[in-house]
Amino acid sequence: MIDIMALLNEIKKAPYREITVSAPHTGRIEFAVKDTGIKVDGATGTWSERPGTLLARLIREGNAKPLHAPEKGEVVHFFDIEDGQFVQAGTPLLNIRHFLTKQEVIDIILKKALHLFKAPEKGRYYFVSEIDIKIKSQGLRSVNIRDGDEALILSRMKRETIIHYEGPDGIIYTTYFNSNESVEMGGPLFGVCPEDQVNNIKTVIDKIQSGWEEQE
Amino acid sequence: MKKHKILIANRGEIAIRILNACRKLGHEFVCVYTKEDAQSEHCTEALKQGGPNTLYRISSYQDPNEIFAVADDSEATAIHPGYGFFAEDFRFARRVVQRTRKLKFIGPSWKIIQDLGDKINTKRVARRLNVPTIPGSDRPIVDDLEAEELARSLFNFQNEQGVEQPVILVKASAGGGGMGIEEVHDLDRFRTVLRGIKNYARRQFRDEGVLIEQRIFDFNHLEVQILADSHGKVVHFGTRNCTVQSIGRQKRIEVAPGFYPQSISYAFDADKVLNDIIDYSLRMAREVGYNSIGTWEWIVSPMGNPFLMEVNTRIQVENGVSAIISRIGGQEVDLIQEQIRLGLDERMHFEQKDIRFEGLGIEYRILAEDPENAFTPWVGRIENFSWPDFPWLRMHTHIPRERAYDIPTEFDPNLALGIVWGQDLEQARDRGIRFLNQLVLEGRNYMGEPLKSNIQFLKENTRKLLVF
Repeated sequence: MIDIMALLNEIKKAPYREITVSAPHTGRIEFAVKDTGIKVDGATGTWSERPGTLLARLIREGNAKPLHAPEKGEVVHFFDIEDGQFVQAGTPLLNIRHFLTKQEVIDIILKKALHLFKAPEKGRYYFVSEIDIKIKSQGLRSVNIRDGDEALILSRMKRETIIHYEGPDGIIYTTYFNSNESVEMGGPLFGVCPEDQVNNIKTVIDKIQSGWEEQE
Repeated sequence: MKKHKILIANRGEIAIRILNACRKLGHEFVCVYTKEDAQSEHCTEALKQGGPNTLYRISSYQDPNEIFAVADDSEATAIHPGYGFFAEDFRFARRVVQRTRKLKFIGPSWKIIQDLGDKINTKRVARRLNVPTIPGSDRPIVDDLEAEELARSLFNFQNEQGVEQPVILVKASAGGGGMGIEEVHDLDRFRTVLRGIKNYARRQFRDEGVLIEQRIFDFNHLEVQILADSHGKVVHFGTRNCTVQSIGRQKRIEVAPGFYPQSISYAFDADKVLNDIIDYSLRMAREVGYNSIGTWEWIVSPMGNPFLMEVNTRIQVENGVSAIISRIGGQEVDLIQEQIRLGLDERMHFEQKDIRFEGLGIEYRILAEDPENAFTPWVGRIENFSWPDFPWLRMHTHIPRERAYDIPTEFDPNLALGIVWGQDLEQARDRGIRFLNQLVLEGRNYMGEPLKSNIQFLKENTRKLLVF
């Protein structure tokens, strides 16, 4: 078992990450937030239905696409983009310094504690339909997986290949991929927790819940 | 001639061929790329030939808003869709010509794309004109019971015809290029395959309609290259044979013309079959008022019976193999230039009688893949890629020769096209082998394993070309 408190103390030394907000598409950018030091909020609500602070609007084909802050934090840097400028997809716009939430700290530590099944090759991944149906109907942590089971479909270059799970038997505790996006080789796909260790993982989570103070 | 700025809404080698055609016609161009394609030579060529304002990064080749945002910022006046992506998307073509700032669409009118781009509509139009088509559905089927009923009737039909081992094909109706097709040998397995294809089609195309057709065995895959303007003139640039394919029905070698009765004997009158499919294709093109470049795809049974498969309302990968044997006024034809001219409303400046065919062309599709392992794409870094320059060789590629290149996994795995010309089949085959022998394609994957390519597969098949 990993040393949770040591890991927590390590994270506490730099309890934030910087998020670069980039133009998701091509278009003309109009900033709504114009100064550094401004505090912004990320999406909130049970289903993240309330968008975060409006940072900018990207205008293309006459439609203004709002760009909201992805996380809570503080705007610390603007890249050299003028208000009203045409920007290409992927152009960095500004940086937000975001203090880690309890959930994010839990995710960091889970990545150390769970067995991570990693992408054998770069591509898009989907769960095979048996697992997909179970997750959709019963939620995560309802699926038992064993070494050698058909787990995922790898889609790349318009071809699909079945990927078999390799690792300890257990339940699929958390997933790290989105079927709309390509996963780099070696990127984590899902984390598996052997059934006899589920209680240990719960203990880890409880420790973080009590030992981590979220900052503004 | 009005000077245009043409936005090339595509990537890779076809983007390079289109930008070269634009330059030769005296038009400006603008290219797009996504982050995965930053190392593609189409980006380098765009910057080299057009300067820094001719290249835009976009988030996706499949997002029309991206394309239009770039078109407006760059003040483009026309869009060339290339092949794939928006090439056969009638909604995109319609939007190009109907939006507030209207642009020219280098392709057929959107209504024709709608009518012919859909395999099912094409089949209906063909049947109306007495053009032979493959037995099976002529509309997408979503209802499982209806699908099963049709499958049963196709098995019964083949049994009645005396086919010893009847087989049917289940295809994703929104698919193309050989994707989403499986064969079924008996009705018991049909349901499983149907479910699999529907799931695949939903994931890949968001449309779970399927087509069910009789599988015709040992056929040859032929094509007729058509060119038509908006003033009623329709010509053809001969036939191609695309029978050498991967097991996933992806083309690997194309030959023009489609058969070679001068030195190969066929169980049927090959000249007559070629003439028949040209006549049928021209008949359909005239009937629907076709007005661009397009390909009529045929399968020809071992007894020489042709069946129309589909119409591709776009420039095709293999257009160059038809161009290399076609002469107008003694000059080799560039079909992409002709397509651009007609897309910009020019009249066709030649007649069918002006087109002469000379010799034989072979196009090789060069891929990093493992033909011995189900043609699995090989992914890794190309470190060495070179070929000799011959006057009879046209090479089209987006792979840089001067630097290493990581193959992106987001797109089709085609690396290059090598098109060889010979005055007859024997010379073309000899030159093809010579080219493949001297082609260097080397690299390593993340495990340090050497690159796998289909070069040996291409060589082995060169000897058997056009033999039915």
